[in-house]
Amino acid sequence: MAKSDDLAQIIDGCKAGSAEDFSQLVDIYTSRVHGYFYRLTGNSELSEELLSELFFKLVGKIGSYKGGSFDSWLFKIATNIFHDYLRSKQRRKKLLEVKKRQLESKITEAKRSESARIDKLQIQIGKLNDDTRELIMLRFYSQLSLKEVAKIRREPIGTTLSKLHRGLKRLRELMG
Amino acid sequence: MNARNEENLKALFERFVSTEEAESNIEDFIKAERILEEYPAPEPNEELITAINSKIEEAIRLRKEHTFRRFAYKLAPVAAVFVVLAVVSVRMLKEGSGPVDLVRGPMIARDVWDSDNVAADDRNLAVFTTELDELEVEFATLESGDDGGNGRSAVTELEMDFAEINTDIWEG
Repeated sequence: MAKSDDLAQIIDGCKAGSAEDFSQLVDIYTSRVHGYFYRLTGNSELSEELLSELFFKLVGKIGSYKGGSFDSWLFKIATNIFHDYLRSKQRRKKLLEVKKRQLESKITEAKRSESARIDKLQIQIGKLNDDTRELIMLRFYSQLSLKEVAKIRREPIGTTLSKLHRGLKRLRELMG
Repeated sequence: MNARNEENLKALFERFVSTEEAESNIEDFIKAERILEEYPAPEPNEELITAINSKIEEAIRLRKEHTFRRFAYKLAPVAAVFVVLAVVSVRMLKEGSGPVDLVRGPMIARDVWDSDNVAADDRNLAVFTTELDELEVEFATLESGDDGGNGRSAVTELEMDFAEINTDIWEG
């Protein structure tokens, strides 16, 4: 992870329209944001699409970043992009098809060693309700504090804490 | 895990539950998050990152073009005003005509106002006044029919004299 001074310099460069600085921003955040999208959609193709959309949007939005936690700001945009994605009927249909295919190929996939480990978690995550899944993934991939997560979700910190605890406990049980 | 490592989860939990329960909840947190770490999401491939960077470069280029165009559109009316002002100014300079001053014309002959000799003017006025008085007396006599039968022509003559004196006064 970039130090805050380095990150501030990179962000300034991005604001000035430097493609090189944007490239660095991509390097810093791609893995985490992709992981976040992947765990929410369960599909590589879709998560890559959302990731591209995020960075594309960032070019236009970076000027509106006025300081504070950049991670929080970035994951707020990522969350909005995911919500927009859910709202899109076409994409929702696509997601349902993906989920259907996932369930159908669940047994086949489970036989693959490395991917089986990944898919086991993905399958269990799929059993959580949408809100809980989103909360757990936001907390894990954004690396934000509970206070920041609660702020993004526009809910009291006690609610976020309680939901997260219940969700994580449930995930532990599912994973056996 | 930077920002969240700085937070005191225990203190946060203790705001809502007992100390024992808080410790148990924290353990749930740690163990569940360990599972997430053990099952990492697949990493995006290099091709995707290259594609994203290309897309960003294109977006930056378009944005700069758009910004320039917007600036040009904003500047155009201002530039147009300057051009019009410049053209008008050049024309005015060429024709040598500056702004036109309004000149108010005198109602009374300029000579009267231009005279600096007050004493001479007073003398003239005294003479004219005496002549007018005499003419008025003559006019009254004629009007009364004491002119010896030729009153009509005498009145015309007097009127002509009046007109002459009047002109003399206003022309200085």
